[in-house]
Amino acid sequence: MKFLTALKTALGLAPGCEEVNEFLADYVEGTLEEKTMAQFEEHMDMCKCCSHYMDQYRRTIDMTKEAEEVVIPAELAEHTLSFLRENKVFSQDENAA
Amino acid sequence: MKPSKKANSAGPGAVPDSGDMVTSTADGAEEAISLEALMAGDESAFEQLVVQESPRLFRVIVRIVGDDDEAQSILQETFLQAYQRMNTFRRESKLTTWLYAIGINLARASLRKARRLSSLEDQEVERMQPAFNRGMFVETPAIWDPARVTEFSDRQQLVRKGIEQLPEDYKTVVILRDMEEYSTDEVARMLGISSGAVRVRLHRARGALRKLLDPHMRRLPKS
Repeated sequence: MKFLTALKTALGLAPGCEEVNEFLADYVEGTLEEKTMAQFEEHMDMCKCCSHYMDQYRRTIDMTKEAEEVVIPAELAEHTLSFLRENKVFSQDENAA
Repeated sequence: MKPSKKANSAGPGAVPDSGDMVTSTADGAEEAISLEALMAGDESAFEQLVVQESPRLFRVIVRIVGDDDEAQSILQETFLQAYQRMNTFRRESKLTTWLYAIGINLARASLRKARRLSSLEDQEVERMQPAFNRGMFVETPAIWDPARVTEFSDRQQLVRKGIEQLPEDYKTVVILRDMEEYSTDEVARMLGISSGAVRVRLHRARGALRKLLDPHMRRLPKS
C-alpha cells in the first residue's frame, strides 16, 4: 500500500482493509455514497490484499450464479392446480373458472 | 471514517409497485394479473398466478430443501395457504414477495423437520472470514488463476456443495440474492429482516464460499 494511503488509514482519514472488507457487499451493490465509493476505490487501487480479495469475492458471486441449473418438472403448475382442486379449494370442474 | 450509504427510499415494508397488478419477469414471462381479482377470490386469476410463479418459486424451494418431490409438495402447500390467506395480504409489499415468503417459510420448516441441517455452524462461518490485525489483512490473499476459475471441471459441484454446507440463514440469502438475483430489499421483505441484515449474512456467506473455493482456484506454482 502506498505511503500516503497507509498514513491516511493510520490517521483514520481513509478506510483500512477491515473496514473496506466489511462493506464489500455494499460496494459491489453500488449502494455506497459517491465520496465513500471514491475512498474505497482509492484503497483498492493501492492495496494488493484488498484487490486480490475483491477479485476472489466477485468470482465467487459469479460462480454462485452459474452453480446450478434447476430442471423444472413437467406440468409443474398443472399438478398444483390439480392439488388445489382435489383439496376443494378450487372448483372441481377445470373449466369452471 | 464511517462509510456512508446512499439513502434508500424503498425500505422494508415499502410499497414498491402500484399494487393493482401482479407482474413477474421470471423466466422472461411478464404478465399482468389483476390484484383486485385475486383478492376477490377469482379462481381464474389465481390459476394464472400459479402458472406464472410456479417455475421460479419451485427453483427457490428446491434449492433450499434439495429434494424435487419435497419441493413440489411445498409448492402446492404454498399456493394452498396463499389462496386461503389472501385476505391477510396487507399490500405492504408485492403480492409475489408475500407469496415467496410463505414458500420460503414452509421450505425452512421442512428442512428443520427433516433435520437436514447444514454441516457448518455459524461460528465456523465466522472463522472462515479473513483475519485482520490493526485493520489490515494478516495474510495477502492468493491470486486465483482465471483459467482454473473457468476451466476447473468440478467447480459447479464445489460451489453447490459449499452452498449446501452453509447454515440455513446464510444459504437462503445466497439463493435469493446471488442465484435468483432478487434485490436486497426484496430479500429483506421475503425473510422479514432488515436490508442491512441481508447484506451482513450475504457478505459472510460469500466469504465462507470464497474460503472453500480458495484452495482449488489458486494459481499453481510453475514446475
